[in-house]
Amino acid sequence: MITGPTPTENSLSLRAGGFSTLAEALDYAAGGETGCNFYGDRGELYASLPYTELREQARLLARRLTGLQLERGARVAIVADTGPDFHRFFFACQYAGLVPVPLSASLLISGRKRYVTQLRALLAHCRPSVAMAPPEFFPFLSEAADGLDLVHIGTPETFDCLPETQERTEPLRPTETAYLQYTSGSTRFPRGVMIAQTAVLANLEGILQQGLQIGPGDRAVSWLPFYHDMGLVGFVLAPMVCQVSVDYLKTQSFAMRPRLWLSLMTQTKATISFSPSFGYEMCVRRLRQDEADRFDLSAWRAAGVGAETIRPGVLKEFADALAPSGFKPSAFVACYGMAEASLAVSFAPIDKGIVIDRVDRSLLAKCGVASPLSECELGSDSDKTSVSRFVNCGVPLSGIEIEIRNEQGLVLPDRHAGVIFVRGANMTSGYFDDPEKTRKVLSPDGWLDTGDLGYLVEGSLIIIGRKKDVIIVHGRNIWPQDLEHLAEELPEVRPGDACAFSIERPDRTEMAVMVVHCRELDPAKQADFIYRLQGLIREYFALDCFVELVPPRTLPRTSSGKLSRSKTREEFLTRNDTARLFHGRNGSDHDRLPQPDQQADSCAASSR
Amino acid sequence: MALYDTILPRLYEILKPFAQEGQTLSDETELVADLDLDSMKVMEILLEVEERFDISIPLNVIPDVRTIRDFARQIEQLTEQK
Repeated sequence: MITGPTPTENSLSLRAGGFSTLAEALDYAAGGETGCNFYGDRGELYASLPYTELREQARLLARRLTGLQLERGARVAIVADTGPDFHRFFFACQYAGLVPVPLSASLLISGRKRYVTQLRALLAHCRPSVAMAPPEFFPFLSEAADGLDLVHIGTPETFDCLPETQERTEPLRPTETAYLQYTSGSTRFPRGVMIAQTAVLANLEGILQQGLQIGPGDRAVSWLPFYHDMGLVGFVLAPMVCQVSVDYLKTQSFAMRPRLWLSLMTQTKATISFSPSFGYEMCVRRLRQDEADRFDLSAWRAAGVGAETIRPGVLKEFADALAPSGFKPSAFVACYGMAEASLAVSFAPIDKGIVIDRVDRSLLAKCGVASPLSECELGSDSDKTSVSRFVNCGVPLSGIEIEIRNEQGLVLPDRHAGVIFVRGANMTSGYFDDPEKTRKVLSPDGWLDTGDLGYLVEGSLIIIGRKKDVIIVHGRNIWPQDLEHLAEELPEVRPGDACAFSIERPDRTEMAVMVVHCRELDPAKQADFIYRLQGLIREYFALDCFVELVPPRTLPRTSSGKLSRSKTREEFLTRNDTARLFHGRNGSDHDRLPQPDQQADSCAASSR
Repeated sequence: MALYDTILPRLYEILKPFAQEGQTLSDETELVADLDLDSMKVMEILLEVEERFDISIPLNVIPDVRTIRDFARQIEQLTEQK
C-alpha cells in the first residue's frame, strides 16, 4: 500500500559526492527516508520507492541476474519507460557487475514499424545478454529481438521467477563502465556512449555541488525520459547520489497535459526541475486564463534549461505568465552539456537567471568576432537585425576545461568564435564498439570535439550554433543520414539524390529541410512526390520536413565526391527567402511559398 | 446506431482542424501521412480524444493506429471496456 510520497526531509546527513561507484552511493542513500515517487497520467501517485527499498530490490534482482552466469560487463537492455522497474534494473546491474543500456520508450501514432526497427538496430549494436521491457512495451521488444541470441528476455515479472544465486555478487568497480547511453535513435549510425563510474560520479559531483549548490530541503521533479542524458543522469542518478527525493511524471503524461508538471511542482514544493525550452513553451501554450495563481512555484529555485538551443523569449513568456504563481525568473539556469560528457559541461550561476550577450551580427558573421554592444549602441528597435543575442551558459564545472579552436586547431582568445572542445574526468571512454567514431571526436590527450560552435567571455561559455550535422527538434536528435536513407525508399530517389539539414527559424527553433534531385517534370507528379516524402518522414520521425526539388546532378559535393550538407544548406538559404518560408510548410498550404508549381518551373527551367 | 458510427463523426470533428485545405476526411485517411501532424499536435489530439470520450488511451495501442478507422475502433474498444 502506498501511504504517500517519500519525504523531502532526511535523517541522513546530505552527502553530495565522494562516492567511487553508483552502488556505493545507493548504499549510502539507503540509510535515509528519501526516494523516488511515480505519478500516473492524471497526476496521481501510483508508486513510491524509498532508496532503502530500491537498494534491497536491486540487490535481490542482482542475485537473480548473477544466477544467469553472464560474463562481467555484459549488457542489459532496458526499455526505459518511466517507472520503478527502470530503477530496479538499472541498479541491479550496478550490483551485479553488468552494464545497463536504456533504450527508447517513445511510441508514436502508426509508429510500430519505426519503433521496432529502431529497437532492433540498437539491440544488434550493443549485443545485450539480457533484455527487459515493461508489459506494454514487451511485444515490440520481443519482435525486435526475434532471432537475436539472448540469455533471457522478458517483462520484469519473468525476472522475479529466476533463481537467486548463492555466489557473492561483485558490483561494478570505479574504472568499469556504469552504463551505455545511445545519443540518438539513429538506426544506421547508433552511437553508444560508454560512461565509466568515475566519469559520471565526477560530473554528478560538479553538477550537485557547484551547479545546483544542493542542500537539505531540496526536492526534484522530472518528466524527462530516462533514455536521455538529462533524464537519466540529471534526474535518476543525481537525486540518488545526493539522497534527494524525486517525483516523476511520464514524458507522455507531460506531453499531453503539460500543466501536470506545474501541479506536481506545486504539490511537492519541489526546488529543482529541468526542461528544454520547448517544455516551458508547452506550459505557456496550454495554461488557461486566470489559472496561474492556482499554482505555487515559489519554492522552485533551479529551473534548468538545456538540451536544445535556449530560447530566451520563450522563457520570458513563461516567467511572465507564471509570475502570479510566485515563479522567479532568477530561477532559470542555463546549462550546456552532452551525453559524451556524462551530462553537463557548464552551468550558469544559480539565482542569476538568463544572461544574454548582445553582439554585432555582421562582425560575427564576417570575422568570427563576437563584439559586445553596449546599451546605447543597441539603439532603437529599428536596427534589431544587426544584433545577435546569445544566452550565457555559464562557467565549466570544476575539473572541466574548455577551448575554442579555429578550423586549423589553434586555440582562440575570448570573444572569438570557433569549435568548442572540452576535457575533464567526466568524459566518455568512447563509443561502444566503434574505435573509428571515437577517434574522430576524442583525442588521445582527452579533448572531446563537441561539434558545437561558440565563444568564451571571461570564462563563461556562449553557444552560437552547430558544426555537426544533427538536427535537434524538441530536444530529440535526428541524424540527416537517416532522413536521406528514408527518402531512398521512394522509387524516384537514388542514393546521393537527397540531402537533409536543419535551418533555424526566427524563433531559434529548428526546421528540417531536404533538398532532393528530381527527374520528374510534371508539376502534379512533383507535388505528389513531395507529399509522399513528407508523409514518410512524418511517419518515421514525427517530423515536419520542408522539401525542395532541384534538377538532377545539382547538389554540391565535396572534393572527395561526397554530398556537402553545409554547401547545400548555404545554397538553399541563398535560393529561398526564408522569411516567407517560415510562414508555412510546403504541401500544407498552397497559397504559400515555395509551391510545387514554382519548384516545377525552376526545376524545368534549369534542366532545359 | 452502432457505437462505432457515433464515434466517427465526433472524431472527424476533433481532427478537422488538422486537415489540409480542401481535404476531405474519410475513415481511410492516414493520420500521420495524410494529416499535417507533428508529434506535439498528436498529443493535443490524444488529449482531446481522452477528454471528449472520457477514456484513457494506453501508450501501447498508439503505434498500431494508422487510419481514422483504426483510431475509431480503438476508441470503441476503450469505451466498451469502461
